[in-house]
Amino acid sequence: MSDTANEESRLTNKVDRRYGALSEALLRSGAGLEAFVLSALALVVAFAIFGVFVAVQGLDPLAVYSALWLGAFGTSFSIENTLTLAAPIILTAFCTLIPARVGMLVIGGEGALALGGVGAVLAGMVLTGLPWWLGVVACCLAGSMFGAAWIMAAGALKHWRGVNETISTLLMNYIAAAILLHLVTGPIRDFDVSIKAQSVPVPELYRLGDIPGWSVHWGLVVGVAVVCALHILLRHTVTGFSMSVLGGNRRAAQMAGLDIGRLTLLACGLGGAAAGLAGAIEVVAVHGAVSESLLVGFGYTGILVAFLARQNPLAVLLVALVIGGIAAAGGLLQRRFDMPDAATDLLLGIIFICVLASNAFAGRLFRRTA
Amino acid sequence: MTDTPPFVEIVSLSKRFGSVQALDTVSERFPPGCFHALLGENGAGKSTLVKCLMGFYKADDGNILIDGRERRIDGPQSVQGLGLGMVYQHFTLVEPMTVAENLVLARPEIPAVIDWGAERADIARFMDDAPFTLDPDAPVSSLAAGEKQKLEILKQLWLGRRFLILDEPTSVLTPAEADEVLGQMRRLTDAGTLSVLLITHKFREVMTYARTVSVLRGGRHVGSAVVAETDEGHLAEIMFGASAPRADIARAERADAAPYLQIAGLRARGNRGELSVHDAALEVSPGEIVGVAGVSGNGQKELVEVLAGQRSAEAGTVRVARQPWTGARSEIRARGVRLLAEEPLANSGVRKMSVMENLALRDYDEAPLARGILVSRGAMRRKARDLIARYNIRTPGPDAALETLSGGNVQRTVLARELAGSVKLLVAQNPCFGLDASAAAEIRSQLIEARNCGAAILLISEDLDEVLQLSDRVLVMSSGRIVYETPGARADRYEIGRHMTEHDISETPEPEARTA
Amino acid sequence: MMEGTLGSWGVLIAVLGGAVRVSTPYLFVALGETLTERAGRVNLGLEGTLVLGAMAGFAVSFLTGSPWLGVLAGGIAGTGLGALHALICNLPRVNDIAVGIALFVFGTGLAFYLGKDYIHPRAEMLPGIPLGTWSDSLAIQSALEISPLFFIGAALAVGLRWALFNTRWGLLLRMAGDNAEAGRALGLSVNRIRLFATAAGGFLSGIGGAFLSLYYPGSWNEGLSSGQGLMAVALVIFARWDPVRCFWASLVFGGATALGPALQTVGITSGYYLYNAAPYIITLALLVWVSNPREALQGAPRELSISR
Repeated sequence: MSDTANEESRLTNKVDRRYGALSEALLRSGAGLEAFVLSALALVVAFAIFGVFVAVQGLDPLAVYSALWLGAFGTSFSIENTLTLAAPIILTAFCTLIPARVGMLVIGGEGALALGGVGAVLAGMVLTGLPWWLGVVACCLAGSMFGAAWIMAAGALKHWRGVNETISTLLMNYIAAAILLHLVTGPIRDFDVSIKAQSVPVPELYRLGDIPGWSVHWGLVVGVAVVCALHILLRHTVTGFSMSVLGGNRRAAQMAGLDIGRLTLLACGLGGAAAGLAGAIEVVAVHGAVSESLLVGFGYTGILVAFLARQNPLAVLLVALVIGGIAAAGGLLQRRFDMPDAATDLLLGIIFICVLASNAFAGRLFRRTA
Repeated sequence: MTDTPPFVEIVSLSKRFGSVQALDTVSERFPPGCFHALLGENGAGKSTLVKCLMGFYKADDGNILIDGRERRIDGPQSVQGLGLGMVYQHFTLVEPMTVAENLVLARPEIPAVIDWGAERADIARFMDDAPFTLDPDAPVSSLAAGEKQKLEILKQLWLGRRFLILDEPTSVLTPAEADEVLGQMRRLTDAGTLSVLLITHKFREVMTYARTVSVLRGGRHVGSAVVAETDEGHLAEIMFGASAPRADIARAERADAAPYLQIAGLRARGNRGELSVHDAALEVSPGEIVGVAGVSGNGQKELVEVLAGQRSAEAGTVRVARQPWTGARSEIRARGVRLLAEEPLANSGVRKMSVMENLALRDYDEAPLARGILVSRGAMRRKARDLIARYNIRTPGPDAALETLSGGNVQRTVLARELAGSVKLLVAQNPCFGLDASAAAEIRSQLIEARNCGAAILLISEDLDEVLQLSDRVLVMSSGRIVYETPGARADRYEIGRHMTEHDISETPEPEARTA
Repeated sequence: MMEGTLGSWGVLIAVLGGAVRVSTPYLFVALGETLTERAGRVNLGLEGTLVLGAMAGFAVSFLTGSPWLGVLAGGIAGTGLGALHALICNLPRVNDIAVGIALFVFGTGLAFYLGKDYIHPRAEMLPGIPLGTWSDSLAIQSALEISPLFFIGAALAVGLRWALFNTRWGLLLRMAGDNAEAGRALGLSVNRIRLFATAAGGFLSGIGGAFLSLYYPGSWNEGLSSGQGLMAVALVIFARWDPVRCFWASLVFGGATALGPALQTVGITSGYYLYNAAPYIITLALLVWVSNPREALQGAPRELSISR
């Protein structure tokens, strides 16, 4: 380089270094701060739009908002409700989040959860006579493995066959539901129960109980533990770094010599395992058996959680609380205002749209130009 | 074609972008029938000038006169009826559609229902008079690069535009195709039915086809000449100033060593299934730079992609250090292979990751950047600070996202990463594309230095001057094959040019194309 | 529909009749998605559009007594959702696949929110054209009672194919999907073209939804549609974005969907759910068949995100 250019750069680097510490700190937190602000804004706008829908039906939006708060966090009963609903969606969110790290858009949480529940029941049927803690672990593990295998299949189809993973996992949701319904009404049906079709229950011994003093099952703690573990994996390990590279630029990952097939399967496997675990926990902690009531949309809600958390594992906890709260408040809205139980689904849909639209502002709130 | 071209004049045109004066009181006259070349380096203001003419930018100051009358140009639409047209560097054709459909699409008023019979007749009549002929029913995707360029020009003529701006039209053409296109343009300007404004950086084209030339530097008009009364040396002087920066090439003597990179019988397909690399074979030994010259589109991109692990080969072998090469990370590490790909942001970096993470891409999984299975961002930051200082990367800090850096600094980042550490094999693809002269010279001297330290360097470049300047051996790649080899010292440009064109590119799909 | 005497012929006739019947919503959604994708966008939210169109159609038919007004209402509802999809995707840095999922959730939620009151009442159904009166067999008569929408759909398929290649807006729409950059260079607003295409796609999908609630199965409740909107997207890929091929493909999908119920009518009830899974499995298999990791999907519009 010419002398003057060299001198110039040296000077600018010196200046940069002086303000470096401050600007670096801003840079490091800037991305996270912006993500939080965008998601918060999206939530506010979504609530406002929901308020319009509610007003059109002749109701007072403010009354509805306060009912939402009451139903979500207002009483200890509602908090327990919220936590119970948050537990599975913490896990199903990872079915979208981890594959997103490697650049895939997977929405198969519903199917993985369904098969996870099936796996738990099958394990309970086959592995009898274990001590209680081993039994619980076995059922959860079986559920995770079923879920992992399911999503890994989609990952394999994507990597080796180029099949779009969003469409395939969406289709597989329906196929998994069909498998569940077939099994529950046939091969593993519990004919002693006549109200609705239900599977043979998991042994009473293997049931996961509640956290002492609360009416919330231990599954919540499992969810939190999984969040911490996955955060460490994604952010602090070599494998997590490799995944970020792959998701950031596939061609850069190729030229860096990364094993893309392995990373793809790993991401899908982990995501599927999380959703499968959610299904297993729903069985061993809540229902005791598999039935149609496993298919209530935890998988789809998990997708929303992942997007609202902007694919950040730690944020999943906070977001799941918010979304769980909204879902928990549904009953109160129904009773107090005679609103259809699809009201909270509508609100969640509006939130989803607002979150996606807020992406348009990403990178513009805090400018980080050189 | 009987219309006369408009008389285009720009008076004292200026345009500023933020703190950069892209255009500074530039005045030019383009009488009807002129063939005027606009010379200048990247960033000299050539594209700003023509974008102002074509309405994409609004000039801050100055006037544009067409046929003696001042015109307000508010946007691309307002230029439509003035007779000005532009042919861009990248094709603006719709690939899956036919030539006829593309021509009809270009019309300002397309009828609601298209009468293909009448349209075809019109097109046939037009092609009779036009300088080139194409099959109206051919899908554009099946045309060769030269034919696509001709179609772009035909499109402008079809629309009645008689003042054509050609923006680096020959960058994707073989010398033979370039000669045909520019030759026809010259014939039309000689006959007075067309005016051409040619943007180029190739002196040869200026001297062979243009009648007049002007040079821009730093947004200013620094000189004009009549081509018949000047020569390349004089033009270079105006363009670069009295002393053009030339890299100091001190080549160390190298001992003969066994080839480090061996490619044999390589076959690979491109994105649309066509056979791009066709039995390519070459060798590179330690301590030598092998330069591969060729016109873009002859398989160079696919060859580099195979070496980079971004494309799988259909047949053939690649050996590095005499072992088969699969591109796995362990092999990259063990054999010291590095890559300077074109378009670094697209190929070698992750935009949203920080500068320090990008700098760590080659070694984040080994000590000291990794401890066991955990990565240490602190160690990454320390290493990054060191590289940023050493390679003069302008960035607010190691945590800035790569995409916030300017193009030159992205390139420096990738360069710093790839060249730090011991390099035994370096594949460099158009490494200086888009850089200014001094940055390019810096990179070239880095390549020489690596060569002198014993690295084997494969340089693939569409810039023939660069290849001739740097290479110990020069190869020519054409139609996916290596068709010619010559020692760098004895290279004859015209012989090389002949080999670049001799073999025709066939873009029709091979019989072994995929079924269903 | 009891046909013990026809036996396996009965199944075949039921499948064929079902194919024609069930294919109609597939056809409309597929035609709509063809337009959208030809312009360069993927709309995975068609399931939500389908459900919303079904609700709107049923509600309007109930309120006005005219099923055809209901069809129109379904189309308008679909247009709204389609326009919403396009407007959000027109914003920078927004992923059209994700927006589709969001609209799926939103559309379904909105449909069940507004449609709660219409689950129990009965609305006026669309008439069918009885083409099987020449036969004594009830099965044949029922199989050959065809909704006029089927014929409208077929005509649309032919018409759209012609329009895509022989009209100005067809050419412009294809350009938006094949090379948006070129479109912008010509001064076109690619975003506006995509808005129109997605809205039109929504209109047709909404009509498909109205068919579900106003003809077959002919009621409004949960579980009305399960994945048909999604399968239509795969159908479009399979039909290589050609409207006429969409017609034939939708017949195949319709047959596959009708298999389960058809078998039930002859008493095969075990594995009911698995037979219902047949269309999804077939769709997935087809998708695997036409996909290739190395190359883009054959015939795909170049701008489409799922084909790059």
